[in-house]
Amino acid sequence: MKRSPGRAGAAGGAGSPGGLYAAPSLFWLTVFFLAPLAIIVAYSFLTPGPRGGVEWKPTLDAYRAIANPSFARVTLNTIVVAIGATAVTMLIAVPCGYYMARSSRQTLLLMLVMIPFWTNFLIRIYAWIAILGNEGFLNDLLIATGLARQSVRFLYNRGAVMLVLVYTYLPYAILPLYSTIDKFDFSLLEAARDLGASKLGAINKVLLPNIKGGILTAFLFTFIPIFGAYAVPLLVGGTDSYMLGNLIADELTKSRDWPLASAISLVITLVTTMGVLLLLRANGTSVLGGSGDGEKPVPEASSAAAYGAQAIGGSR
Amino acid sequence: MRKRSSFSKAVFIGTIVFLSLPLLVLVLYSFNESKSGSWTGFSLRWYVKLFTDSPQLWRAFGNSVIVALSSALVATMIGTLGAVAVNWYKFRLRKYLRTITFLPMILPEIIIGVSLLVFFSGIGLKLSLFTVFVAHVSFNLPFVFLLVLARLEEFDFSIIEAARDLGASETQTLLKVILPISMPGIISGFLTAVTLSLEDFVITFFVTGPGATTLPLYVYSAIRFGVSPVINALSVVMILGTVALTWSTRNFLKYIAAK
Amino acid sequence: MEYGGAKQKTVKGSDVVIEHVRKSFGDFKALDDVSIGIKKGEFFSLLGPSGCGKTTLLRILAGFESPESGAVLLDGRDVLSLPPDGRHVNTVFQNYALFPHLSVFENVAFSMRLKKAPESEIRAKVADYLQLVELQAHAKKKPSQLSGGQKQRVAIARALINEPSVLLLDEPLSALDAKLRQHMLIELDSIHDKIGITFIYVTHDQQEALSVSDRIAVMNAGEVLQIGTPQEIYEAPATDFVAKFIGETNLYEADVVSVSGETVELSVEGFGIIKVTATEPPPVGSRVSWTIRPEKIRIGLEEPRSSRNGINAVSGVVDEPIYSGFQSKFYVRTPSGQVLKVIKQHADWSDEGPEIAWKDSVWLSFSAEDAYLVEVKR
Repeated sequence: MKRSPGRAGAAGGAGSPGGLYAAPSLFWLTVFFLAPLAIIVAYSFLTPGPRGGVEWKPTLDAYRAIANPSFARVTLNTIVVAIGATAVTMLIAVPCGYYMARSSRQTLLLMLVMIPFWTNFLIRIYAWIAILGNEGFLNDLLIATGLARQSVRFLYNRGAVMLVLVYTYLPYAILPLYSTIDKFDFSLLEAARDLGASKLGAINKVLLPNIKGGILTAFLFTFIPIFGAYAVPLLVGGTDSYMLGNLIADELTKSRDWPLASAISLVITLVTTMGVLLLLRANGTSVLGGSGDGEKPVPEASSAAAYGAQAIGGSR
Repeated sequence: MRKRSSFSKAVFIGTIVFLSLPLLVLVLYSFNESKSGSWTGFSLRWYVKLFTDSPQLWRAFGNSVIVALSSALVATMIGTLGAVAVNWYKFRLRKYLRTITFLPMILPEIIIGVSLLVFFSGIGLKLSLFTVFVAHVSFNLPFVFLLVLARLEEFDFSIIEAARDLGASETQTLLKVILPISMPGIISGFLTAVTLSLEDFVITFFVTGPGATTLPLYVYSAIRFGVSPVINALSVVMILGTVALTWSTRNFLKYIAAK
Repeated sequence: MEYGGAKQKTVKGSDVVIEHVRKSFGDFKALDDVSIGIKKGEFFSLLGPSGCGKTTLLRILAGFESPESGAVLLDGRDVLSLPPDGRHVNTVFQNYALFPHLSVFENVAFSMRLKKAPESEIRAKVADYLQLVELQAHAKKKPSQLSGGQKQRVAIARALINEPSVLLLDEPLSALDAKLRQHMLIELDSIHDKIGITFIYVTHDQQEALSVSDRIAVMNAGEVLQIGTPQEIYEAPATDFVAKFIGETNLYEADVVSVSGETVELSVEGFGIIKVTATEPPPVGSRVSWTIRPEKIRIGLEEPRSSRNGINAVSGVVDEPIYSGFQSKFYVRTPSGQVLKVIKQHADWSDEGPEIAWKDSVWLSFSAEDAYLVEVKR
């Protein structure tokens, strides 16, 4: 009670500068984030122009094209890669986060995870090309040791895409998990054991519910960028690992079918937003604040995001 | 417990090896004499070439720095004010602002890139370093906003009331109380924005125009259209650069916080 | 020095008159027709449980909230239309609200710097006020380096340097531990004596309010239940709520059987006839509540010699004795099952009474002068 009248009362009165302070953010994000999304929605219902762009003739062609089996295959491939890479990432990240949180040399371990993470995204992809490429380190090694007579083609397939995706996004999953597990009071596990829970039971019933926020953040920060991946499949993928991101770019720059590119973008947007909403709901939070007491419209979601922002930004 | 922790230890060690190995290979290869993959001998020639004979690379680097600093500055100013508004003041569209500062963070980069490209061409804005700047402000803003907000949430509203009670006007409250106490959040927001901007490839790829190549774009075309071992040397320099930059900003932030 | 170093109590400050103030947050009525008159230089407490409206009232006085109706007059002038800094009123906040980026000195100097006072004046005056709160040695520290009590004192100095005519204190001691709270309370009292301005003190702790206030307003659910000196509030509570909220008490319902002057005879279930004092005696046959403080009851093994007029005697069995060092508390059950709380101070060597133990049959006695009629129910 003490807090809310304060916020509402004095701060909301006439002459409150809140609106003034908020205006630049509202303007910028509305014009340069929301308006572009709205245009994408609009374009997806229009006819492609001859050399990119659109003609203002409404049509559902773009959505008919999406229903086409060849697109469905790309979508399916995207889902398989995203789920697979996310699952592998999470399976590695949870024990890593746990080990780091329990360690007495946290700063050192954090550095070990962070240095690869700080390295430029493209350099990280490139490093794998340097290793797995036809003239790469691994082939060099195999030929030098006589294990292979000619270079093996490691790159340009789904396996390489998954490997590089896991490599790229692993730190995004480890960091939020580490910081949540670090805050967990491990005497609770002992309390649960004391009260008769089995070792696994204690972990399931006490540890996991308490680090749910971190798991959720880790999942979102891995799954979403992987689902919309573009550069990784472009650089290390082949025909079997063509993903929706590549499809959008090709429609936009090669086929010049902007409505179709818009429609696919819209599908990705909807899938990610729905995924986030469902996950947050499963986590027991109504996303847009429900009753609307005006306090915090996206509590769990924004705290997860803030968390991620801090895990990523704060540790940079 | 014992067994479990040895399991997690094994996973962790494996992960560290997995994360570091590719970078170590890059370091090794950057000293390779030969232009092709095989190791032929130690040489610094790629470093020499990097620093003395790569004008395009350095132009790209210059572009990256310009975009990073300017977009981080603008995003920090706008985002900080937005966070102050959301944390401490009531205004119309408050919920809306919270939502649109959250959404860009959950959307894949490609969506932001594509939608901005379509938008720029729709309003007839020619793609250039300026459009790259606009795009970078857009994706940096939410990060600054959330980092500053996280800092502000540590304070009770009564600190604003105290300032008002002691005779400060709204502007004085902003300048003498709110901005100083949020400074650690503002600085880490700015530095995060700089790094995210230097790092960005996907969004930049879509909204860049002729002559507006940034360093990641340069690296991309080098990978795509013929790898020169200069890239190995560049990678090592970039790794060292980011590590040094991050390490010093961390210490700087600690210093600020302790002050 | 501004606050007049001499010992004599200077009375400055303002009268504060609160008239028919109403305030609600949505459906919640925070203040329901509240009227209070506070005298110049008074140490006045607003006492009540959390959510009773006391903080809201304080925030209205400070200018952080506006009431829906009513008036707030400082020395006869309506101040509701003035902003917080236009009222000669300053606030000490519950959680101190110190500026973390400024030193102790700069926190105290904050308002003078805003006024662009000359540096020499700032130095002199801040030094004076730091001396008042005994923090001269800590001027250069940051708030994070101070203890809770020290932070509190910075907050007080910072609020006083503006020379307000009214100082508002919002639960200033609630974040301190019990011992420090006692100490700060004495210090607050002495600062009040030195400065002589009106202090309005919000608290939920009746001990705090009783020990420092000149007068207290007890509030509950947005209403003022009683205004009076600590003695009046403690000994003659105006309502059942006040009786229960202030200190420990025994509170019962009874029927009025006879009235003579200010003494009223009540028929109490389980006690028989009890004589109590009533300033405005109700008619015979009324249903009333009455109270007797536990420490006003004498406990003994013998039936008391009731030679004096107006001594009530009740017998019972000790249900539960609770020893707590300097005193003992007894829960005594009368034959019909009523329970009375009795507190006995542990006296010196001259006290020859026998030890009273569990299951002892005892006699309780108290004077009609100490027992008060509280509310007339019907």
